[in-house]
Amino acid sequence: MENTPLIEVKNLKKYFKVPAGLNHAVDDVSFTIRAGETLGVVGESGCGKSTLGRTIIRLQEATDGQVLLHGQDITHVGGHKLKEAREKLQIVFQDPYSSLNPRLRIESTIMEPLKHSGRFHNKAELKEEANRLMNLVGIDERLRQSYPHELDGGRRQRVGIARALALNPEFVVCDEPVSALDVSIQAQVLNLLMDLQDQMGMAYMFVTHDLSVVQHISDHILVMYLGQAVEKAPTEELFKHQLHPYTKALLSAIPSVDIHHPNQRIRLQGEITSPINPKPGCRFAARCPYATEACQQPQTLEEVAPEHFVACCRWNEIQG
Amino acid sequence: MSENFLEVKDLEAYYTQGKDIVQAVNGVSFSMKKGQTLGLVGETGAGKTTIAKAILRILPDIAAHVKSGKIVLEGEDLMTKSEDEMYEIRGSKIAMIFQDPMTALNPLMTVGDQILEVLLLHNDYDKKTGMEKAGDMLELVGIPRERYVEYPHQFSGGMKQRVVIAMALACDPELLLADEPTTALDVTIQAQVLDLIRELREKLETSMILITHDLGVIAQTCNLVAVIYAGKIVEMGTLEDIFDHPTHPYTKGLFGSLPSMAQGEKRLHSIPGLPPDPTHLPEGCAFAPRCPHATEACKGAIVNKELTPGHFCLCCGV
Repeated sequence: MENTPLIEVKNLKKYFKVPAGLNHAVDDVSFTIRAGETLGVVGESGCGKSTLGRTIIRLQEATDGQVLLHGQDITHVGGHKLKEAREKLQIVFQDPYSSLNPRLRIESTIMEPLKHSGRFHNKAELKEEANRLMNLVGIDERLRQSYPHELDGGRRQRVGIARALALNPEFVVCDEPVSALDVSIQAQVLNLLMDLQDQMGMAYMFVTHDLSVVQHISDHILVMYLGQAVEKAPTEELFKHQLHPYTKALLSAIPSVDIHHPNQRIRLQGEITSPINPKPGCRFAARCPYATEACQQPQTLEEVAPEHFVACCRWNEIQG
Repeated sequence: MSENFLEVKDLEAYYTQGKDIVQAVNGVSFSMKKGQTLGLVGETGAGKTTIAKAILRILPDIAAHVKSGKIVLEGEDLMTKSEDEMYEIRGSKIAMIFQDPMTALNPLMTVGDQILEVLLLHNDYDKKTGMEKAGDMLELVGIPRERYVEYPHQFSGGMKQRVVIAMALACDPELLLADEPTTALDVTIQAQVLDLIRELREKLETSMILITHDLGVIAQTCNLVAVIYAGKIVEMGTLEDIFDHPTHPYTKGLFGSLPSMAQGEKRLHSIPGLPPDPTHLPEGCAFAPRCPHATEACKGAIVNKELTPGHFCLCCGV
């Protein structure tokens, strides 16, 4: 195991100005990802998981905090250095319909990052590499000259994956890459992503609200609630011993396909706290069955068991 | 049990798209008894929503037409009803919960008034009783009565979906068609809405057709399941039949594609290939091009076999 993690996120914050005030989309989130590892990020819509991914790879500028790549701060670098970092950081977007340029043919879309890298000297080399990538992700060569609208969702997502992998990235943010696809196609794309990881060894940050997908694909899982990380643990540990009340409620709400053992669901009451100008303290407290006075204080993510982090002041009292 | 509450027989519905004919529903038959919940599962474009819209007779006249089939609700054939008679039935006898709560509500009307509208249309209430009743409906779905005067944009997605459910239930329908009622919602909210639907079913004895692509939702709410592929029911039976003994290769493929079913295995058993183009369906079994067990026989006519009483499978290989 290496000493320096591939990605280190330190107290990352991203606020958006909205008419009502400041939306704390990502608020003081810290974690690390090692090379070749998959981190699943789960949470409900609007909890800031996509913003987190986009801020890490500098599609959005962080409000505060740091992102380290191989121990080097890339949060504020520009020019040549940023370009270098970006080759290593890629993203696969949620919507394969809007994330491809409708006026570029498939081959050109995949060639775009290759051209900018300056590693290829003539058109023949570029074409050859684009071909290799298309084979890699399982797109027929005959579709080279097609436009995105001529492809179905699954194939489009494959194009998006080929484009993201074009420059051999070390870290790929997968932002809900399969949620726009049908179940049978979803499984094809998930298999592809896992196979590619085995071959090329990049790390994934897998952002999704689908917990069964995340359970299947991740090594570690980070649970977010309204901009804050509430729990992080190895996948198996998290599904066996959740500590945070929100994680417990979230996991118990997955409709089980086992008809003989129906869910023992934890019912949540109360209104969702607004992420706009929030009060300090636990944001889940308003819906939490265990909330007390102490929850009005800011909560920090603490390591309570090896590699198991939780941000809840009462985690120990509420078990069992 | 004497008579079936709802019977759908050989329903066929096509859309015309320019020169092409989209064969959305190709001979669907099923029946259900009062108080049962039937789950329709299948992929995008399999024809699930078209079936529901055909029952309610709200398919657009110009582009779509129901080619043939019978829809019998409590002994009465809905296909022979006039538009005026259907107008009476919609909302009072059969109600539908639409998929997208964001677009199913009128943004310029308070949520209370939208429920009131349905109530006044089908009942002889005066406005005051109607408003009282609309308030009751809001409370029934867990929204405080005081929010009667608020507009849809002041509600979250899950709350809007509750308003849509309240509207659908306002006139105590006997049949509720729920088209992906929770797909647009987060898991914790989804669980709340499913609880609510289950509770109401027990309280009011409503029969329901639940359309979804989420097998987990089916497992938690339905008694009967019909698996749809390319406009046909390929397998149908009780919840136990389908979940414990899936038989059709497509049903098996669907279960294999679920990450939660693949515990311990790294690769998912995906179904190769793509759903067929509904304008050019293959001859014989529409699933054959993707089926690992396909033979020459699959290109011929496929007979619907009854495996055990009530468990049907449309496959020549079983």
